[in-house]
Amino acid sequence: MKGEFLMTEPILRINNLHKKFKDTEVLKGVTLTVNEGEVVVIIGPSGTGKSTLLRCINRLTEPDAGEIYLGEHKIESAKSNLTKVRQRIGMVFQDFNLFNHLTALQNVAIGPIKVKKMNKKDALELAMRELERVGMADKAQNYPAELSGGQKQRVAIARALAMDPEIMLFDEPTSALDPELIGEVLEVMKKLADAGMTMVVVSHEMGFAREAADRIVFLEDGVIAEMGSPEKIFNNPEKERTREFISKIARLHGSDSEMPGTGS
Amino acid sequence: MEMIQFFIKIWPELYKGLLVSLQLSAGALLLGLAIGLPMALARTYGKGLVKTLATAYIEIIRGTPMIVQLFIIYYGLPDFGILLDRMPAAIIALGINSSAYQAEYFRGAILSIDEGQGLAAQALGMTKSQTIVNIILPQALRLVLPPWSNELIYMVKYTSVAFLIAVPELMARGKMIITQTFKPMETLFWVGAIYVVVLSVIAKAVDIIEKKLAIPGFQMSRED
Ligand SMILES: Nc1ncnc2c1ncn2[C@@H]1O[C@H](COP(=O)(O)OP(=O)(O)OP(=O)(O)O)[C@@H](O)[C@H]1O
Ligand SMILES: [Mg+2]
Repeated sequence: MKGEFLMTEPILRINNLHKKFKDTEVLKGVTLTVNEGEVVVIIGPSGTGKSTLLRCINRLTEPDAGEIYLGEHKIESAKSNLTKVRQRIGMVFQDFNLFNHLTALQNVAIGPIKVKKMNKKDALELAMRELERVGMADKAQNYPAELSGGQKQRVAIARALAMDPEIMLFDEPTSALDPELIGEVLEVMKKLADAGMTMVVVSHEMGFAREAADRIVFLEDGVIAEMGSPEKIFNNPEKERTREFISKIARLHGSDSEMPGTGS
Repeated sequence: MEMIQFFIKIWPELYKGLLVSLQLSAGALLLGLAIGLPMALARTYGKGLVKTLATAYIEIIRGTPMIVQLFIIYYGLPDFGILLDRMPAAIIALGINSSAYQAEYFRGAILSIDEGQGLAAQALGMTKSQTIVNIILPQALRLVLPPWSNELIYMVKYTSVAFLIAVPELMARGKMIITQTFKPMETLFWVGAIYVVVLSVIAKAVDIIEKKLAIPGFQMSRED
């Protein structure tokens, strides 16, 4: 099933991206192309620039050099088109970052209402459909403080989906969750991948990577150290460093973390 | 018994004073809000000169006694050709004083909202100002309610300084009654009692409002 949705049309092109914080260079020339419908999983040691890379894509962080294209459109910091570009890119954070004063339903509806100027009724209907998609319709009227971590993350995914993005970025979406809540979030992500969504996912969940990823990117020290199919990266990496890192996360996360509902 | 009779006699006069006190409080509080909220935003989000000016304003106001501010506005401004009646002068002085404290309450509330929510809003495509209006302020306004209701209670008490420029508020009426009746203890007892009753009614009302606006996950308790 892997590669089934792999089309040749590139949707995201990152070219020679550089980013420095003070005098430490975090990204040292990253070049990566993501095709439409592709699922790319990024792995790599802590502090290696994975979050920085994702944040540069939607300009939550301003890169120092390099270009990023979304479709034909070059992403630049000029304010006028920045909010437009961000609407086309969904982002899911490690800490969920739900809006605490809004119900689950309102969290999902507020983007379409305020950013897309959709009328309220349509936006709420849309939000309800998105909540159904992530299995959270029954909690639509609950506030974030009344939800578990896994539920919060599913609402956060629905919130991003409601903007009808062309690509979804996930920054360690399950690493703030208790182990028993990880499965429900991965399941939603897997469904999304199967539906053909283009996804860039920073995650060390090996089970998810094996099943859902078309490509694994091993980022280390601000550069892509190795990249390839899950098959290749997990079983036959070219570099010794990759092999070491894979066996390290296998020890930490379990070599085959559970993917409920998908069998194996 | 005698106390009660005395109260019945002076109540009409004190009642007029109480109304003036409450008008003063309401006017000053609203003026303080109208100046304080923009000052909080300027100090929190502003850059360069805007931020410096807002910070200076807040610190200077908080660093000087209210009575000095009151006298500058009532006795000092006429030197610059600005002559204010007692009541507007008192409202402006109390309002400016309150604005600096309110600004700091708002700033504290804004800063206590984790920045992740702001990032999430921007990732959805909200502009900075949409983020402030739709995400930050609705939460900050709820978080600020407990300190803000304390400010309301202080304000009602602070209005008594307006008697120094002869605004006919509750304390000033009390003073007049004392000169007429030579009963300072009895008069001040009733003046004090009125403050206590009015303030507990206000505290109760604020409690009800806080409960109405309560949202799971927001701390709504006021320290007493
Ligand atoms: N806003 C910032 N200011 C200064 N330094 C930063 C900032 N953001 C990130 N860094 C630094 O850049 C480096 C890379 O951070 P980044 O968060 O991208 O790593 P990461 O690969 O996502 O790590 P982790 O697996 O721990 O999430 C780290 O050393 C971090 O301390
Ligand atoms: Mg990270």
